[in-house]
Amino acid sequence: MKFRKLAIFALMISLVGGIMPLSAQDEPVTMSLWVRDSTVLVEALVDGWNETHENQIELTVIPASEFVTKMGAAVAAGEAPDIASIDLIYTPAFSSAGQLTDLTELVDQLEYVDDLSPAHMTLGEYEGRNYAVPFAAEGSFLIYNTDLFTEAGLDPENPPTTWDEVLEAARAISALGDDIYGYYFAGSCAGCNAFTYLPFIWASDGDVLSEDFSEATLLDDPIVREALELYRTMWDEGLIPEGASIDSGENFTNAFASGNIGMAGTGAFGIDNYKSNYPELNFDVTYIPGKEGGTASFGGGDVIGIPSGSEYVEEAWEFIAWALSEEVQLELYAGNNQLPVRLSLSDNEYFDADPRLKLAASTLSVGHTPYSLVYNDLFNDANGPWLLMIQVAIFDGDIDGALDEAQQRFTEIMEG
Amino acid sequence: MTALQSLQGLSWIQRRKITGILFVLPTVIFVLIFFIIPLLMTFFMSFHDWPLFGDRAFIGFDNYVDLTTDRQFLKSLDFTARYTLLVTPPIFILGFILASLVRHNIPGIGIFRTIFFMPVVIGLGVSSLLWVWLLNDQVGIINRFMLDMGLVTKPQLFMAKPDSAMAVVILSVVWKTVGFTMILLLAGLQGIPDELYESAEVDGAGYFQKLLYITLPLMRRTIALALILSVIGSVLSFDQFYIMTNGGPRNSTISIVYWIFNNSFTYFKMGYGAAMSIVLLVILVILSAVQFYLLRDNT
Repeated sequence: MKFRKLAIFALMISLVGGIMPLSAQDEPVTMSLWVRDSTVLVEALVDGWNETHENQIELTVIPASEFVTKMGAAVAAGEAPDIASIDLIYTPAFSSAGQLTDLTELVDQLEYVDDLSPAHMTLGEYEGRNYAVPFAAEGSFLIYNTDLFTEAGLDPENPPTTWDEVLEAARAISALGDDIYGYYFAGSCAGCNAFTYLPFIWASDGDVLSEDFSEATLLDDPIVREALELYRTMWDEGLIPEGASIDSGENFTNAFASGNIGMAGTGAFGIDNYKSNYPELNFDVTYIPGKEGGTASFGGGDVIGIPSGSEYVEEAWEFIAWALSEEVQLELYAGNNQLPVRLSLSDNEYFDADPRLKLAASTLSVGHTPYSLVYNDLFNDANGPWLLMIQVAIFDGDIDGALDEAQQRFTEIMEG
Repeated sequence: MTALQSLQGLSWIQRRKITGILFVLPTVIFVLIFFIIPLLMTFFMSFHDWPLFGDRAFIGFDNYVDLTTDRQFLKSLDFTARYTLLVTPPIFILGFILASLVRHNIPGIGIFRTIFFMPVVIGLGVSSLLWVWLLNDQVGIINRFMLDMGLVTKPQLFMAKPDSAMAVVILSVVWKTVGFTMILLLAGLQGIPDELYESAEVDGAGYFQKLLYITLPLMRRTIALALILSVIGSVLSFDQFYIMTNGGPRNSTISIVYWIFNNSFTYFKMGYGAAMSIVLLVILVILSAVQFYLLRDNT
């Protein structure tokens, strides 16, 4: 009697178990994609994919400052998303801890692999294997208000190309009125300043880290001190609004939009924002200058990867390859004022119509990106040594103290 | 023999014991799951290099040794101590004044007790976010008020200087928590019989004498409880700094729990954070024991 019950039970289980895998293969899957809120084009991209594909993508947007913590916690809890768009500078930390799927074979099959943004590809590598590919590209540059330039007697067709010229322009514009300032930067935002301030140093052939990224060169490299002195001078002379000292990033793009700021550092997201939301604002863009000339940029943005343990590696790669395809790069990226991650595609009809985007795209080829397993602790942490150094040197005026403390703390963190 | 039959064979005393244990069991299980086990896990983690993701390694007491040379940890201990010393007196004095005001059961007094208690209910995170915007230099009503009243000539950046940042955080926390201390002290006040005051007045006692010789001594236990809860809360403070000051300016407002948070979830060094948590626990246990001893009832 009992044996019969058991046999029927076993038969039913095997029938169900046998049917399920068959149906799973035919059912469209829903994949989760996590992205930080500062990566703007993703909603349009996901909508575009969902409309034309059976497999669906569920998008979750996370505040940028919490992304690493939330992603790390999810990975630790075994609840990582199926696809993740990660700020490229965090990728070494994730890939070195085995948190991303090895994509090397899939990447090698892409015919345009050499055309992909070099900064992203480098940051997506770990010990010779690829763990992520470019998804959103941002290079930093200076944006300036052409109306204020004209009013101040400056030539909007010839923006500053040296630090002295930046200083002179800032002085001329600030002299226009009480509420008008020549320069702006978010004084309490660590990442914003990594993006827009480090290039000043790089453009002058200086750096805060050694070439192999193993040591801090804050005390050894005189350019670092001089860069701090440049901003300190502008602050001291009142060329920057007071509120900038406590701006932790919320005002990063809005300040320039007010029309009272002469120059500020930004990325292509700024061009998109101002074009779309502040059409009366007249602005142009130029490269971030070195001390005596030369240019550099922070090669930033997001890479996209597949967290380890994802059930949908093939399906996720379909989405990634689709996003990198020429049609999507032109229509959905360039068409929406976003930089294509394939360098050759920055020459397109949309950018021909707006040369500012062309310049923005060209910054990717002079883009530097620090490769560090502790990038977050050093450069993005609100309590980290990069931001502290900037604040103590520029707002408190203690450049020596700032450099000493930063060098010590950088070294402590990098030694683990 | 079934269970019921074996139970019936026990003596009345043994059955009482089993009943007692059964009554306490739910709470014991709760404390076990939500306190004892996590505590033991934290203790275990503190002896490891335990990254948030990746492989972990046993390193013995290394985390604890590293704490002694961690400059920010020592700064955080100092800051948290100063903060606790600064925030506790206003909460108590204001709490006591409010409790005295709402002590007597006159009609409508419930409205005031509710109003004073309401901020307690909204959660420290929400309160901190509220104050961020109240204090904002461009849209905050506090600056608007000060400018309109002529108290200042330009909007104040409260978070720009260490002293003003600490002051406004204390202000927001006092506003948020004074109602809770008020309720605790109120309970203590209402426990004092009116006859004691009446007979003291007959003997010619004034307000301060009644306060010093009747009220405070009889409220010793209530004050002890309120004080210990308040001190523990201040030592464990985190939300208000994380949301209002981001630990600034110049990392001057990083409390111990804030530093534990950073180490565990920003730098992903969970073993190190665990060690810090254990040290904090020991500090709090000692602090509470000292307070219990000093405020013990000698009656």
